Amino acid sequence: MNSLDPRVKRLPVVGEPGQAEPKAPLDQFGTFEVFVQPKEGKPFQHEGAVHAPNLEMAFVLAKETFTRRFQCVSLYTVDTRHVFVSPMTEGNISVFDYLHDVPEQTGTKVSYEIYQLVKRGKQHIHVGTVQANTPDEAMSEAKRKFHSDKIVYNIWAIRTDDIRFTKPEEKELWLTLPEKKFRDASDYKGGDKLKVFLESR
Amino acid sequence: MYGGGNTFEGVKTDSLAQEDPVKLAEFEARIERGEKIEPTDWMPQLYRKQLIRMIEQHAHSEIIGALPEGTWITRAPGFKRKLALMAKVQDEVGHAQLLYSAAETLGKSREQMITDLITGKSKYSNIFNYPAFTWADSCFISWLVDAGAIVNQLANAKGSYGPYCRALDRICAEESFHLKYGHHCVIYLATGTQKQRDMFQEALNRWWAPMMHFFGPSDKISVHTEVLMKWKVKMGTNDDMRNQFLDMYVPKIWELGFTIPDPNLKKNPETGRWEYTEPDWEEFKRVINGDGPCNKERLEVRRIAEERGRWVREALKSPKAAYVTPLA
Repeated sequence: MNSLDPRVKRLPVVGEPGQAEPKAPLDQFGTFEVFVQPKEGKPFQHEGAVHAPNLEMAFVLAKETFTRRFQCVSLYTVDTRHVFVSPMTEGNISVFDYLHDVPEQTGTKVSYEIYQLVKRGKQHIHVGTVQANTPDEAMSEAKRKFHSDKIVYNIWAIRTDDIRFTKPEEKELWLTLPEKKFRDASDYKGGDKLKVFLESR
Repeated sequence: MYGGGNTFEGVKTDSLAQEDPVKLAEFEARIERGEKIEPTDWMPQLYRKQLIRMIEQHAHSEIIGALPEGTWITRAPGFKRKLALMAKVQDEVGHAQLLYSAAETLGKSREQMITDLITGKSKYSNIFNYPAFTWADSCFISWLVDAGAIVNQLANAKGSYGPYCRALDRICAEESFHLKYGHHCVIYLATGTQKQRDMFQEALNRWWAPMMHFFGPSDKISVHTEVLMKWKVKMGTNDDMRNQFLDMYVPKIWELGFTIPDPNLKKNPETGRWEYTEPDWEEFKRVINGDGPCNKERLEVRRIAEERGRWVREALKSPKAAYVTPLA
């Protein structure tokens, strides 16, 4: 290919120039939801989604996509299919009014993480854990445990075992090196040079 | 990096007549109150279509925009500049990931978006169809093209679609480094040798016309966008955005002693608006429709990258995977 860029010139010829088959479904893999903890002691919050071939790769890509600049001490990922979503409400209607009470069930309960949306336009925030047999029961438990005067517009429930958490030894992923200032706006002070230049004119 | 209204296509409001008037009124009232629209909320088809188009074009622009700058990583002067430019290019590609996800929540698959980019069906910011000849071109892009993008993105971040606004907030925070870095690079050229100054002046001469095109066709010839403004899809007219950019950056360019290649460029003290030679919209139309200096190369590089990655994706594909729309 003719180009100013020698690397483009060196690109091998692959397929027919200008021709592309439509991509097959799932060519870009499924999606995984990403939750970030901005500070120690702060709750995890939903940040967005990544496409990845599996949960482990989703974790790696989430770190690259969502924690490049903003402070982060921990993150986790979960397959979008494993997030149970309540209806969405608005105005002064709380989603808790919509959730029906599931009678206490027997059997081995597992733990579910619960997330609330308390301001439309913002993110879902982790509020705590409940024990339940089914996602429905988890929502019902959430209502029992986290119901307050605060209006909640939407609830998510995720089985704790479906989440890929940050392992303790991985925490150093977010230790910022002092010499990495080159990606920080504060490191670009051209003011002095500019001042000398302007005074000389 | 993205500039607004890219096409001359009219907004067809025909579909509005088929919308449920009660739901439409509720939808408009919600936007009026300043609330965000979320993926599961009811929305008119036209809103969905326009947002997909806009967010998708924005995502493609981030990917394609990384190409002319990426060219300069290996040749950037000095180790620190190389590191910074590499970080910036990585940022841009990351922005595309955020934006593709936001567009996906509206129902268009990532596969379809990438197919539409490679086959030329979807557009991207026209400015990236021009080549970066010298290091100074790369500096122009980092400083002024990013500045233009920030003007647009800050406006759009106040729009009505929740996932897009949240992506833009993250993007704007990262772009502030790009802008500072770009300005720093240009100050170094401006305060350097005559040869360095000439190099930037030449880059400025080359990029001024595409920069004026960046914000899209003039309001005089642009199609009506009232409904998109009312729905907070578009947050300002093309001319408003262009004017805001000129207001912020022309004085900074002049301060460095460079000449902008438009003898008619001046601010009208009475109206507070900038006056300039009308950009050549015929050229803009011609280039955006495929006949620019780099259109073929940009798409070909993207196509080859997809082709070369195919075997990796095939190998990683899980038979258990099934697609669901990302949540927010």
